[in-house]
Amino acid sequence: MQARFSLTVVLYFVAVPAFADIGRQVDLDWPQIIAFAAHQTNYSGTYVYQHDGHMESARITHISDQSGEHEKLESMDGPRRAFIRNNNEVQWYSGDKNAVKVERQYSSKRFPALQPELLSALNENYLIQTAEQARISGFDTQAIVFQPKDSLRYTQKMWAHMDSGLLLKAAVLDERQEIVEQYTFIELKIGGKIERTQVMLGQSDGSLEQQSHSATPPETSEQFETSEWKVAAVPTGFKKIMEKRRLLHGKKTNVIHIVFSDGLAGISVFIETSVNNFKKRLGLSSRGAIHVYRKIKDDYLVTVVGEVPPRTVIQVADSVRQNVH
Amino acid sequence: MKQEISALMDGELFDDDAEETLDELKRNPDKHEEWQTYHLISDVLRQSENVHANISINIHERLQAEPTILSPRTRASHNARWFALSAAASVMALTLVAWLSVQVGTETAPQIAMQQSNTVRPANLPANGLDDYLMAHQELSPSLNVHGMPTYVSTVASQQEDQ
Repeated sequence: MQARFSLTVVLYFVAVPAFADIGRQVDLDWPQIIAFAAHQTNYSGTYVYQHDGHMESARITHISDQSGEHEKLESMDGPRRAFIRNNNEVQWYSGDKNAVKVERQYSSKRFPALQPELLSALNENYLIQTAEQARISGFDTQAIVFQPKDSLRYTQKMWAHMDSGLLLKAAVLDERQEIVEQYTFIELKIGGKIERTQVMLGQSDGSLEQQSHSATPPETSEQFETSEWKVAAVPTGFKKIMEKRRLLHGKKTNVIHIVFSDGLAGISVFIETSVNNFKKRLGLSSRGAIHVYRKIKDDYLVTVVGEVPPRTVIQVADSVRQNVH
Repeated sequence: MKQEISALMDGELFDDDAEETLDELKRNPDKHEEWQTYHLISDVLRQSENVHANISINIHERLQAEPTILSPRTRASHNARWFALSAAASVMALTLVAWLSVQVGTETAPQIAMQQSNTVRPANLPANGLDDYLMAHQELSPSLNVHGMPTYVSTVASQQEDQ
């Protein structure tokens, strides 16, 4: 009897995980594993990015060590462009190999990991399911589908490396299940010795002609400032995660930046005075899954950016109101 | 019988059945009413322009042919039934129109709007002017946490398109 019982228990633990892998609603483990792997794994590889009928490749190197995270993202097609990130500092280079210059420099205050409230938001707004297991770039992966509960956001499908959790492929799908954008690693090295100097573009080969070291723009206020602005029609499930005044490069005036998140997609609302901005292109523009909608609201220019369908950015932009005190 | 007449009108009967139904119609003059009624319903539903003209002609003819004194009661009841039927057809038509418009109002219209806003091919993002916003957005977007650096790929990609 005892033996049979323990056999049942053993069978349960052996059999259940084996059968439970496909199609079941996953708990919050996978998103957390993926987010952790994106920051903690050392890797270097080439991936292909497809969007709007274009295809381009880029090379990425990511190192995480005692001094933090270091990343380099470099375009492989066309003129040389690169992002280099050392912890919170992001630099954007462009130009050919003889003249590389810093185009932009940012202080990126990103969140260290998925915050608990974002994780629970993720689970509220998306049905998260495991899908097929696939082999990508020579690695075994598990596909995870984030199916939104409404059509105001995109479906996201991710293929995570079984061992490390690193994303080897990610696709954004619209409500007709058509691919909006997708990136796939076509060559990848995970772990092991990854040459540090590779990451430091320009500083190693001395080709840096000019580095406009204007310090990162001072952030004029704390993370949570409440302005007189209200965004009335943010889709259900999006929560405000930040609001502040900031200087965008080249701007003389402050811009109010409000960020909403549903755990997976983000929507940014920028509000600034519209003086001298009338020449700017208004309306909808897009790149892959990112849509931008700009409009003039009274004397202000409202710009909404998000990894959400066009009508969501339009809805959000149309609902921006100035609180009357 | 009603079903057969309806099917006959819609051309849904096989030849044998159709002939049978036509014979039936020939033998029973009172079935002619049904035949007419179905045509009326069909006309009303299809919103033919001459529906009303047909009705008045029919009525006129009937009134002309009416031997008022000889059989007033049966004729009256007959007419009442006829009007009831045509009223029923009108109500049906009205209901159908109302139902259709409700459908358009609640479901079809938003779907069309949805498709329009989603199938509108927006302009490609211009490189200069919006990149600041993209960068500012991306550094705070949760997708950066999930995807890591590849999030910036779209910003990198854009540059090439524009050059």
